[in-house]
Amino acid sequence: MNEKKSMGQRIKKKWNNGDIPMWLMLFPTIFFIVVMSIYPFAWLIRYVFYDYNGFKAYFVGLANFNRVFTDSIYWNSVLHTFEYAFLKLLFVLPLSLMTAVLLQRKRFGSQLFQGIYFLPTVISSAVYSLIWYFIFATYNGVLNSFLRAVGLINDPIDWLGSSKTAMIAVVIVAVWGAFGNYMILLISGLTGIPSDVYESAQIDGANGIQTFFKITLPMLGPVLKVVIMLAITTAFKDYESILVLTAGGPNNRTHVMFSYIFQMVFGTSQAASQLQIGYGSVLSIISALIVGIVTIIYLKFSKRMDEIS
Amino acid sequence: MAKEKTGHSVESKKTKAINGVIFLLLLLLASVTVYPVVYIGFGSFKLNSELVSGGLRLLPEKFILDNYVQAWKIANFSRYTANSLMISFGVMTVSLFVSSMAGYVFSRKEFRFKSLIFNAMVMFMFINVGSAALRPLFELAVKLHMNNSLLSIILISAGSGQATYVFLIHGFMNSVPKELDEAAKMDGCSFFGIYWRVILPVLKPALASVALLSFRGGWNEYILPLIFTMTNEKLRPLTVGVVALQNAGDGAAAWNILFAGSAIAIVPIVLVYIFASRQFMGGITAGAVKG
Repeated sequence: MNEKKSMGQRIKKKWNNGDIPMWLMLFPTIFFIVVMSIYPFAWLIRYVFYDYNGFKAYFVGLANFNRVFTDSIYWNSVLHTFEYAFLKLLFVLPLSLMTAVLLQRKRFGSQLFQGIYFLPTVISSAVYSLIWYFIFATYNGVLNSFLRAVGLINDPIDWLGSSKTAMIAVVIVAVWGAFGNYMILLISGLTGIPSDVYESAQIDGANGIQTFFKITLPMLGPVLKVVIMLAITTAFKDYESILVLTAGGPNNRTHVMFSYIFQMVFGTSQAASQLQIGYGSVLSIISALIVGIVTIIYLKFSKRMDEIS
Repeated sequence: MAKEKTGHSVESKKTKAINGVIFLLLLLLASVTVYPVVYIGFGSFKLNSELVSGGLRLLPEKFILDNYVQAWKIANFSRYTANSLMISFGVMTVSLFVSSMAGYVFSRKEFRFKSLIFNAMVMFMFINVGSAALRPLFELAVKLHMNNSLLSIILISAGSGQATYVFLIHGFMNSVPKELDEAAKMDGCSFFGIYWRVILPVLKPALASVALLSFRGGWNEYILPLIFTMTNEKLRPLTVGVVALQNAGDGAAAWNILFAGSAIAIVPIVLVYIFASRQFMGGITAGAVKG
């Protein structure tokens, strides 16, 4: 009796000081972490030992791992991921940095330009990839019409269907869709640089290019590092646009790790290929590790850059 | 004195020329950036024969509305639009509640497992297994008979975005003075009452960012609804519906419907963006800096 009362009082106290409401308010967040992060991860780790086609699962031990070593399509897709990420960053970073520096101050109608450059990032990458699919079309696409009109080519280029150009086309779309996002992040970093630093540089007679390399770039350093890391991790994760543009083709030329895994785990829309979910699980964990290693190497590298300068 | 003056004007002439070139380059980049959107907008009013024959002409030779009528009535786009709206508003509502409650608790309470929960959220932001993680969730939804409603799509979309939004709210919360909570507590407000009556109104700017970003997230979701509606066309949102037409096999014959469908899929979100571009960009910055 006595204990029951004290129990009731304890609950009442916990209710009143917010301990119980706190856990209730945190419940959805914890629920999402458990159901959407931990559970799928544990599931994937279990199925790496199975051959699973969506209906029946057979225990196969380490067979899936052995297969990885001889799967040249996968390792080529890993190479393509690096190629894609490298090419994307090669254009996205300078473009976003240049536009950010030019548009941070109020001139040229900079607000309007910012608004336009950021526009692609609000559109679904699946839908804008579809639009680019029309633009790249071989015979009635606008890009070939334009290149022919200005005399750069005579015969139409099969942008998405030729293994020479497909990756270029994919990267063009990726750069178009992404640079505005990083521009905005960099502008917010630039506005954090106090204006009197620029004024004293001007008094000392520094020109625009000197100011950029001696002041803007070093002072932007911390923000730039975060932006580069975001850009790297995002570039390694991209595959939605590729699924719409080329579905990994032609001849797997534009397959990146995650588009290949998607087809293993969910099949292709064209052909209902046999699902290989267990093997896909192995590949997804290896791919996650690859992205993780790249991220860690970048973090180490950027730290070392700090120590040198 | 006179010499100095001419020197100055030469200098400003030179900077004027440089600025002119920069302006033209910015304009060129802007045209390339905006071109696909304008192209699909005008193209959606063209006759299919004009689209199929290609060419550089941007404006339609003959301005027709029939593509939209066909997409809306025959190609099911009315249903896809309704689904897209349901998903976007659903994701937005769930994200607003979940992230504001979590951000409030993380900012105001010290408790056991706090850093564990927080770190788990950060860690899983960086562990990316791609679409493979959707396989167990899909099978779970089938087991719970939730694969025939939009609810599972809404919950998974909101859940996968939650870390960013929790960080955004948490960052904003830390700038809200604790005296505000204490004054409300003095007046007899409960822990939840403080959140509901005091914190939520103060959080409005951050909530606006979360609302915009999560609405965009829901509207643009593609892989997730693609997987969940593979056998159930009625639940498809616009993104999945329009891309599915690309592979329908009709090839060039359906370009006019595809153009109108793409326009339907991007116009609403572009309109939202035009009216709230500053908040969009602000939200991106706040989310990235905290995350």
